[in-house]
Amino acid sequence: MIAEAALDLSVLVGDWRNTNPAAGIERIVCTLSADGGVTVHCSSSVRDWGKVDAPVYAFDFDGDKAGAFSAVYDFGFEEVRLQANVKQGVLVVATFNAFKDDSGRSNYFNREFFHR
Amino acid sequence: MDSVREWERVSLPAPRPRVAVEAMAGEWVRTNDKPQWIGALDVRVDGDALLVRVYGGGAGPSPQDWGVARTDTVYAGWLTSGDAAAGAFVARYRLPEADVELQANLNLGLLVVATYVRFRESGPYSDRFTREFFWRDE
Repeated sequence: MIAEAALDLSVLVGDWRNTNPAAGIERIVCTLSADGGVTVHCSSSVRDWGKVDAPVYAFDFDGDKAGAFSAVYDFGFEEVRLQANVKQGVLVVATFNAFKDDSGRSNYFNREFFHR
Repeated sequence: MDSVREWERVSLPAPRPRVAVEAMAGEWVRTNDKPQWIGALDVRVDGDALLVRVYGGGAGPSPQDWGVARTDTVYAGWLTSGDAAAGAFVARYRLPEADVELQANLNLGLLVVATYVRFRESGPYSDRFTREFFWRDE
């Protein structure tokens, strides 16, 4: 989309580390993607989540800076939807985690915080 | 057991418990008097899902009435129970100009509503993220 391609992505791009050492997602690396969004690379202590392309969003309808992205990871047994936005220099990441296996684990919501 | 985080390595009996979606039902009104993207939400129980009606808040190209959407998924507050007192839901809307994914979660009795707005045609507006707060209209 033309408007999206014009957004300044500098607020989002970077190597983000979780503020909590016991966290679920340890690290999120955001790099520029070819389509004007970002490529997101998440990893935890148990798995490299791999890279996914993520659309970006401004904070205002007439804004030129991207301050948020959304991304979806589908691991087969679980789908994780990431909702991320930068607030006062901190990347706030909400995850919506849905299990597709019969493990008995409930679909759950979680929030984590990251610094560059 | 497959997992993507350390804390997901828990052994629980199947089937998973029902998520108590009733915790999120109600009339939710904005906490801010200024115009905003969403003005109010009417959330009703529909079996194990929710029916979510959104009303515009007077800012930007937000329609007065977005209509009703059934939630894609309702999430508990944690993976070991069906308690939704800190849970969340996701619903999608097709507005006249834009597609919207609405993601809401309960936090200390407030409903925190984020939307990801993607315009289908290029125009004067940027794709936008919003985050707004609502309390229950008692």
